[in-house]
Amino acid sequence: MIETLLTPLHYQYMVKAILVSGLIGAVCAFLSCFVTLKGWSLMGDALSHAVVPGVAIAYMAGLPFALGAFLTGLLAAVGMGFVKKKTRLREDAVIGVVFTSFFALGLLLISLYPSGIDLRTIIFGNILGIADPDIWQIVIISAVTLTVLGLKWRDLLLFCFDPNQARALGLNVTALHFTLLTLLAATAVAALQTVGACLVVAMLVTPGATAYLLTDRFGKMLAIAVSMGTGTSLVGAYASYFFDGSTGGCIVVLQTVLFLLALVFAPQHGMLAARAKRLAA
Amino acid sequence: MSDAPVQLDVHDVTVTYPNGNTALQDASFRLDGGTICALVGINGSGKSTLFKAIMGFVRPSKGSVQISHGTVAAAQKRNLIAYVPQSEEVDWTFPVSVWDVVMMGRYGYLNFLRIPRAEDRRIVEESLARVGMLDFRDRQIGELSGGQKKRVFLARALAQRGRIILLDEPFTGVDVQTESTIIELLRQLRTEGHLMLVSTHNLGSVPEFCDQVVLVNRTVLACGPTLEVFTEQNLTKAFGGVLRHFRFDESTVQKHDGRTVTVLSDDERPLVFGKGGHLEFSQRQGREEIVKQRAEEPDDE
Ligand SMILES: Nc1ncnc2c1ncn2[C@@H]1O[C@H](COP(=O)(O)OP(=O)(O)O)[C@@H](O)[C@H]1O
Ligand SMILES: [Mg+2]
Repeated sequence: MIETLLTPLHYQYMVKAILVSGLIGAVCAFLSCFVTLKGWSLMGDALSHAVVPGVAIAYMAGLPFALGAFLTGLLAAVGMGFVKKKTRLREDAVIGVVFTSFFALGLLLISLYPSGIDLRTIIFGNILGIADPDIWQIVIISAVTLTVLGLKWRDLLLFCFDPNQARALGLNVTALHFTLLTLLAATAVAALQTVGACLVVAMLVTPGATAYLLTDRFGKMLAIAVSMGTGTSLVGAYASYFFDGSTGGCIVVLQTVLFLLALVFAPQHGMLAARAKRLAA
Repeated sequence: MSDAPVQLDVHDVTVTYPNGNTALQDASFRLDGGTICALVGINGSGKSTLFKAIMGFVRPSKGSVQISHGTVAAAQKRNLIAYVPQSEEVDWTFPVSVWDVVMMGRYGYLNFLRIPRAEDRRIVEESLARVGMLDFRDRQIGELSGGQKKRVFLARALAQRGRIILLDEPFTGVDVQTESTIIELLRQLRTEGHLMLVSTHNLGSVPEFCDQVVLVNRTVLACGPTLEVFTEQNLTKAFGGVLRHFRFDESTVQKHDGRTVTVLSDDERPLVFGKGGHLEFSQRQGREEIVKQRAEEPDDE
């Protein structure tokens, strides 16, 4: 029994996959607190799709995939800002149009020039087959993101909560906006490898949303989200060995289960608590 | 440095929004420290826009805002301007406590990592005590009443040590008692030399606590001491036909009522004008001079 449970750990590729997933899970979860509070979930989804053409171009040109992905991600973000400013369209429409165009362009490029990359890898992720240079790219992105968040989370929190106050104090709100956007794009790139473009948004929203149901303090919210993101990613990657299924699927299903539990049983903001309050009133 | 007298100089400010809508045109006024000034105008008259221009959130297409003879950006760096937002602008479900919010007033003084020092904690505590909210320091901000919420944001302005405090509609959704508490606090701040600009559409409360008034309607119509600016003529100009009137000379109030007529209203204080449209105050106390001066004017009955 124990022997069976330990089998995945005998394979180096599994150990790498588990550790890299845990790292990405932690970074995504940290960021997810800001994403949920700022109302940027759709933006996270958009960026994770908008990086696809960048990955395709980078592979064709023989550049690090993170570089290309990051550039098209930012290009999409700037494009959305531009279209929103110049038209009367609502933000969700702008985001919807821009990110699907980028994603479509990516698909087109990949099918036109079927070079080294597999479409499935991008859309569904392939952490089990990850190459060492890609691991390094992920580690560097994660380290930079965690450092910036660790140093500046209080400023970013103020920016999310009350941008006017941030401005009144003389903080550079535009810089904070782009910092958060850049981190989001970078993290979406890193997560692409683990769970794929379709599920990145889950990693960038679910832990934060779950933690938000469980606490009224930002510090605790961070702690809960990061533990949950890391834990589910480690366990999900490990479990995917037995199910022979997609790693991304395992991780996101685990996160969803925790989210549903919190939704029902959260002590203050859960559905049962709300019902108890209604009955008591 | 923070005790130096402040001055706010709005000079010929014109603000045009990106959609081409000019919300303010050639607005000018000047205020010195030690004043509570009301910013009065109908909805859409440009009160919030004027605030945004003073806070540096919108750039005037013409004219300038000067604070103590420097730019707005320089004033921000010195933490001179504090802002108490309208309740609708705040996300009350945000996972922050009362303490966290008031600490946000100190960010401008904190180091790169924004880690509070003992001094900052002391100031936050003192500010909370001053508005009577220290007991609520660990509450999540959504768990407060309308008046308590207002006081928390006022405490944040205090913690910021801003010499200029802008309050956008501070009495909307606030109970009468909190209103009195806030007014009392503003009066104290006035004696300490702060400059407060309070936007309101609650006309009756203006004579109670504001010593100056700026009347706006897409520009500054009038500005100066309350007694001079707050006249029936000026308010008619600012509000057009939207004010409700109760004229005693057209009403059933007769000579036998004398001056024992009582005016009641539910939450907003009534604004009362005397003969020829001059302002009447609800308390004689402290206004003895006006009473005496007017007593000497001839009676027309
Ligand atoms: N961001 C904006 N873009 C375009 N027009 C605006 C904007 N904000 C306010 N306005 C317009 O400017 C005018 C003044 O608005 P505002 O300053 O909010 O008035 P008040 O605070 O006195 O109600 C209104 O006509 C309003 O519609
Ligand atoms: Mg307004």
